[in-house]
Amino acid sequence: MSSTTQHTLLRRLLLLPGSRIRSVLALLALGVGTALLLLSISTWWNFNALVNGSNRAGSTKAIVVVGKNITDYNMASVSGNSFSTGEIAYLRSAPEVLDVGEIISAGFPVYAMMGGQITMATDLPLASVPDRFLDTIPDAWTWQPGDRNLPVLLSTQFLDIYNYVFAPGQGLPQLSRTAVKSIALKMQVGGQHGQVLTAHVAGFSDDIGAVLAPESFIAYGNKTFQVAPISGPSQLVLRVKDPSAASFISYLQQHGYTVNPGNLKWSRIRSIVEATTTITGLFALLLMGISGLVLVLFIQLTVSRSYEALILLGQLGYSSSFLRRFMLRRFMPPVTVAMAVALLIAVAVQVAASQTVLSGSLPLPALPGWPVWLAFAICYAMILILVSRSLRRALK
Amino acid sequence: MQLNVQGVLPEFLTDRPGIRSSGVWCADLTAKPAEHISVQAVSGAGKTTFVHILYGLRQTYAGSVKWGEQTLSDADPEKLARIRSTGLSIVFQDLRLFPGLTAWENIEVKRSLTGIVTAEQAVAWLERLGLADRRNALAATLSYGERQRVAIVRALAQSFNWLIMDEPFSHLDHTNRENAIVLIKEVVQQNNAGLILADLNANNYFSYTQTWLM
Repeated sequence: MSSTTQHTLLRRLLLLPGSRIRSVLALLALGVGTALLLLSISTWWNFNALVNGSNRAGSTKAIVVVGKNITDYNMASVSGNSFSTGEIAYLRSAPEVLDVGEIISAGFPVYAMMGGQITMATDLPLASVPDRFLDTIPDAWTWQPGDRNLPVLLSTQFLDIYNYVFAPGQGLPQLSRTAVKSIALKMQVGGQHGQVLTAHVAGFSDDIGAVLAPESFIAYGNKTFQVAPISGPSQLVLRVKDPSAASFISYLQQHGYTVNPGNLKWSRIRSIVEATTTITGLFALLLMGISGLVLVLFIQLTVSRSYEALILLGQLGYSSSFLRRFMLRRFMPPVTVAMAVALLIAVAVQVAASQTVLSGSLPLPALPGWPVWLAFAICYAMILILVSRSLRRALK
Repeated sequence: MQLNVQGVLPEFLTDRPGIRSSGVWCADLTAKPAEHISVQAVSGAGKTTFVHILYGLRQTYAGSVKWGEQTLSDADPEKLARIRSTGLSIVFQDLRLFPGLTAWENIEVKRSLTGIVTAEQAVAWLERLGLADRRNALAATLSYGERQRVAIVRALAQSFNWLIMDEPFSHLDHTNRENAIVLIKEVVQQNNAGLILADLNANNYFSYTQTWLM
C-alpha cells in the first residue's frame, strides 16, 4: 500500500467532482489579478529607473539647468535675472536638490575662426561649470595661464543646429562627433589686444546649452579681460534626485525659475504613469481580493460537500492536521501555477521592454526590479495564509 | 493500557433515575490490559451511547473515562486521533462504511493510516470471511451482513490495545459468525489486546473476564 493509493482514496472522498468552472474562474481571476499587480509595479519601477537617470555616467541622479524666467518686465535688468548668493543657498535646501553649481559665463569676447574646407567665424558663448556636473570629464580637461591649447565641450544642441540647419543651408559638409573633435579652432580671446589660443572639442554636453571651458580658463579670462561686471550666475546647474518630482517642479514654478522643458514633460508623463499604475494596481488588488474570496468560498463548499466523509475519517483516526495538510496540498498547486504564470508574464514583459528600450539607448534591467519579486512573495504568502486559515476553520 | 470508568452518566439519562441502578451507569469500572469484557443491555438502555463514550465520540456526560493515563474528556482532537489510530479500534453498530468506496477501499482507508497490517494480510482476512469475490463491490451494494464483515476486517486493519465492538455479529449467519470470531481472537491475541463486546444478550463468543450489565 502506498501513500499514493491513500491520497487517491482521500481525493475521491474529499474532493468531490463539481464546481470545476467556479474553481477555474477563481484561479483565472487570481492569475490575471497577480499579473496586473506585478505589471503595474514593474511599470512604476521602470519609469522611476528611467527618470532618475540611472544611465548617467558617474551619477545615479539627474542634472537640471535652471534660470530665471525672462519676462517683458524684467528683461531689461540683467543683474535682476542673475542668482544672488542668498537665492543659491536657498536652492540648496529645495526639495529633491542634492547639489547646486554655478554656470559662470565668460565676461569677455571670444571669437572663433575655422579655416580649410569649412570657413566659418563666430562669437562663442563660453561658460564653465564645476567639473562634478559634467556628463563626462575628458582626459585633458585642464587649462592654466600660458597654455596655448584650450579644451572645450560643445553642446549637442549646437552640433545639431550646425548639422541640420546651418550646414545644409550654407553648402557646408555635415560633421560627425569624431570629425568635430579633430578640428582645431583658432580663438581670439579678450578682443584684438587679447590672446590667440587653439581650441579642440574634447567632448559634448547634453545638459548645458553653452560651449564649456575649464573653470580655470573662465576665471582667468574674467579676471584678465572682463569688459563688463557680472552680478552673479544667470543659470545654475542642479543635481536632483528626481527632476520630475511634483514638489521640485512646484518649487521652481513658485520662484519663477525656468527649466529644460524636457523635465516638465517627464513630470507630466510621471503623473500619467503614476495615475495609470495606481488605478491598475487598485483594480488588480480588487480582482485578487474577489478571487481570494471565491477561492475561500470554493474551499468551504468543498469541505461542506465532503462533511460526512470528513467526520467518518476523524472517527477512524485521521487527525484534522493530516486532513488539512492533504487539502492544502490539493488546493495550493493550482494556486501556485496560476500565480507562477502571472510572474512569468511579468518577467517576459520586462525582458521584452528592456530589449525594446535598449534599442533607444535607455537601459532597463532585463529582469523585474525587487519590488516585483517582493510583491509576488507577499501575495503568495497571503494566499497561502488565506487558504490555510480557511481550511483550519472549516476542518475544526 | 488499563481502562478506568468512574461514575459515567450521559446527560440525556439524568432524568431517568431508574437507569442509574445499572452496573455501568454511575459505576466505577476497571478493565486491565488484554481483558475480555462483555457489556450486556436490553434495547434502549444506552449500550451504544456507552460504546461511543468509551471511543470518545460523545462528550456530554458526567464522570470520567481514562485509557491508561489519558482522560478522554481532556484529549484534544489530535490526541484523540492518535488514540483512535493506534490504541483503540471499533466496529460500529451502524458500521459507518463509505458507501462510495468498494469493500477493499474501505479497508484500505483504515489500513493505510498506520500501515501496520500488510495488504496481503487484509486480503487474506477478507477471504476468510467469505468476501473474496465482493472486495471490488461498492459498499452501498453489499448486504448488511457483508458490510458487517467488511467493518470487522477494517477494525482489525491497524494495531490496537483494545477492540470495541457494538453488536458486531447481529446480521451474520452461524458460519460467518464463527469465522469472524476465530479471526478476531487471532488478531486480538497478536496485538496482545483486550476487547469489549456490547450485545443485547448473554453470549459466549469469547472467554470473557468480566460482564458489565446495564
